[in-house]
Amino acid sequence: MKPALAELISVSKNYAHIPVLKGVDFSVYAGEVHALLGGNGAGKSTLMKILAGLVTPTGGQVRIGGKALSPATPSQAQAMGLYLVPQEAHIFPNQSVLENVCVGLPQAASAYRSRVKDLIARLGVTLGLDTKAATLEIADRQIVEILRGLIRDAKVLILDEPTSALTPLEVETLFTRMRALRESGHGLVFISHKLHELRAVSDRITVLRDGHVVHSEAMEDSTDAEILAAMSPGVTALSDRVAGKIASEEKVLSLSHLSGEGFVDISLDVHRGEVLGLTGVVGAGRTELAETLIGLRPRAGGDVMLEGRPFRAAKPSDAVKQGVVHLSEDRQQYGLFLEAPLYWNTSSFVYEQLPFFLRPAREQKRFETYRKSLGIKCASPDQPVGSLSGGNQQKVLLSKCLAAEPKLLILDEPTRGVDVGARNDIYRIIEDLAATGTSVIVISSDFDEVVRLSDRIAVMAGGHLAGELPAGASTDAIGQLAFESKETLHA
Amino acid sequence: MLNWIARDRVATLLLVTIAVLLAVGVAAPGFLAPSTASMIWSNGLVLMLIALGVFPVILTRNIDVSGGSVLGLSAVTLGLSLNAGIAMPIAIAMTLGAGLAAGAVNGVLVAVLGVPSIVATLGTLGLFRGVMLIATGGEWIEELPETLKALGAKSLGGLSVMGICTGLVIIAVWAFLRSRRGRWVMVVGDNRAAARHLGLPVKRIEFLAFVWGGGMAALAGVTFAAQIGFVPNQAGTGIELRAIAALVLGGISLLGGVGSVAGVVIGVIFFTSIDTALVFLKIPAYWNDLIGGAMLLTVLLIDGRLRIALEARDRAARYHRGDAQAPQPKKLEDAA
Repeated sequence: MKPALAELISVSKNYAHIPVLKGVDFSVYAGEVHALLGGNGAGKSTLMKILAGLVTPTGGQVRIGGKALSPATPSQAQAMGLYLVPQEAHIFPNQSVLENVCVGLPQAASAYRSRVKDLIARLGVTLGLDTKAATLEIADRQIVEILRGLIRDAKVLILDEPTSALTPLEVETLFTRMRALRESGHGLVFISHKLHELRAVSDRITVLRDGHVVHSEAMEDSTDAEILAAMSPGVTALSDRVAGKIASEEKVLSLSHLSGEGFVDISLDVHRGEVLGLTGVVGAGRTELAETLIGLRPRAGGDVMLEGRPFRAAKPSDAVKQGVVHLSEDRQQYGLFLEAPLYWNTSSFVYEQLPFFLRPAREQKRFETYRKSLGIKCASPDQPVGSLSGGNQQKVLLSKCLAAEPKLLILDEPTRGVDVGARNDIYRIIEDLAATGTSVIVISSDFDEVVRLSDRIAVMAGGHLAGELPAGASTDAIGQLAFESKETLHA
Repeated sequence: MLNWIARDRVATLLLVTIAVLLAVGVAAPGFLAPSTASMIWSNGLVLMLIALGVFPVILTRNIDVSGGSVLGLSAVTLGLSLNAGIAMPIAIAMTLGAGLAAGAVNGVLVAVLGVPSIVATLGTLGLFRGVMLIATGGEWIEELPETLKALGAKSLGGLSVMGICTGLVIIAVWAFLRSRRGRWVMVVGDNRAAARHLGLPVKRIEFLAFVWGGGMAALAGVTFAAQIGFVPNQAGTGIELRAIAALVLGGISLLGGVGSVAGVVIGVIFFTSIDTALVFLKIPAYWNDLIGGAMLLTVLLIDGRLRIALEARDRAARYHRGDAQAPQPKKLEDAA
């Protein structure tokens, strides 16, 4: 057997006497990609934070390169050759991209300029080294995190959901890098909710559930059904698309020649009760289009009709009043009030309708109905939303949108960082909504998700509408539309 | 020109300072002379040192309002030890030691014990002033030796010894912030969690920033005693707020992570020039605060409007999309 580069021996962790990890063994060998899977709240992130020295375990041993990790600090773990690329990118907004990548390295950032440039080229992304990091989109921030890991030449690299904001093309180039690292004797831990991604690069798979290892096998010996069953008993696959839906001809929203920041000349219709998938690569202008519709960004030209009447929102509250509700892709920053109780979050789109003196009991009742219908798992409505897992946070956000009773709901990346079980729930919620006559625009970079959900698919590329596809189109067809114009862009 | 302003608030401030100085020069002939420049510099030394001390603390997204009291405490340390017959180099070393120790107290409270910096330094603001008053028994310290006063008097090329020291400190801070470890100070304030994640010794950096602040306040105390030749009870009272105002004016963000040494220097010089100009214009000294405050607000407002206009221009450039054929592979560089 090859030497273990990093090892966790019966590690346990309690938060305020609540056990999160219960005697977990985990190891990474040289020259392997070890997939780590588990539902939200299974303890994956905690486990990896322990390995990276960010969290001190309650019991058990952490060994990196055969030696115990002591003192258990991130700088010690990095010195011993381990780097964790976290799920939520940690960036320094006021520093340049180059500084962001190189902070903490033994030499000044300028010494690494050519190497970083080289890595960016090899990843196949465009990223200006001297760009101020505050201006980066969420996907580029994640690229910065990945670059940090690559430049550090860590023997063990942990990637916590690195692909959640990347497009298929970028994912593929990342995988190529990962394979190259594996060949050169590095050990990688790869966390993702997408099974086909894990299968594409991993050698071994470990599944965590409720703080236990429930499955640990070679990747090729594990079937999808086994893995899913281990992760959440009862779920064997993502539920399939309901076929044979009849589309309404009534237009709810129609855009004609709409232009704004990052997109030009978009003409689109959304019908009643329809799920429109809006997809494309990152930077195609999807998010900007959505934000322009609800009044977060200025409109440069074109017309929008909502149910036959001209629609213009100067600010998001105008849009909400007229029944257009938007859910941002960045739930931590723009979606949730992390420290506030769950039921406050649910009421947050309808504050104007609340009485002068608040009636918490009524708000809690409203939350209770959504808790039941959306299946939010929580201890009490008074809990701060930050204490929930990613999937449940997303459901709380959905409850807030539903409370505003939208005619048109725009969901930007609704399943980012959400596990398979919760993802199924969210798909069901979207379908139920559409069935009751609400139109939904789902913005997603995950082509499989778009195909799974959409009654019609609009693909954007380089700020233009690259084309529309009917329900059930193949992901290849989407990819062609999304990337074709990108290639001409690079030419 | 616009790009220059876009890069830094320092540029706006520099232009306003020059405009103000020229205007005063027109109104009061004789103002625009090298001797005025040297006077502004020496009048601003104490404020400059305090500002340079608070600067790294603010960069790490903390604040230190105890600077004035540390100044008083160290000036008293200096006065008492000199008057007790201790040799000057040793007395100055003891003074700096007192300042560094006071800074270390702040640092332990904030970085080790986790007290919010505004609370911790408000506490030590009173505490250090109290220690100073107890040490002097509430009396002023007078009749400081001539050797000390010589440090504050003009010597080389119209500059005093303390003036030259301050210049060296400015260069040192500038060089430090350009170094690898200097960058650490900025990134801790920019995103503390990220800095910790990348393995930076966050607590040590915060602690050292406070220690530095204490040391600079002690140097300011030496300068203060050398310049006026005695140490009153209220030495340094309120100077920390003026220093923080000068920093804000110089574009140092109270939210941490943003600022430059040039900003500190210009901010302090701006404040001092106004005070000096008012003397030249024969405006009574009790107008100083009102005029200083009004100028502060004016500069911040002008700068704010400029910045909004420039941001709008950047956004337009960033999101500019031509025809479908127009290639724009360098989208991100354009935004920079």
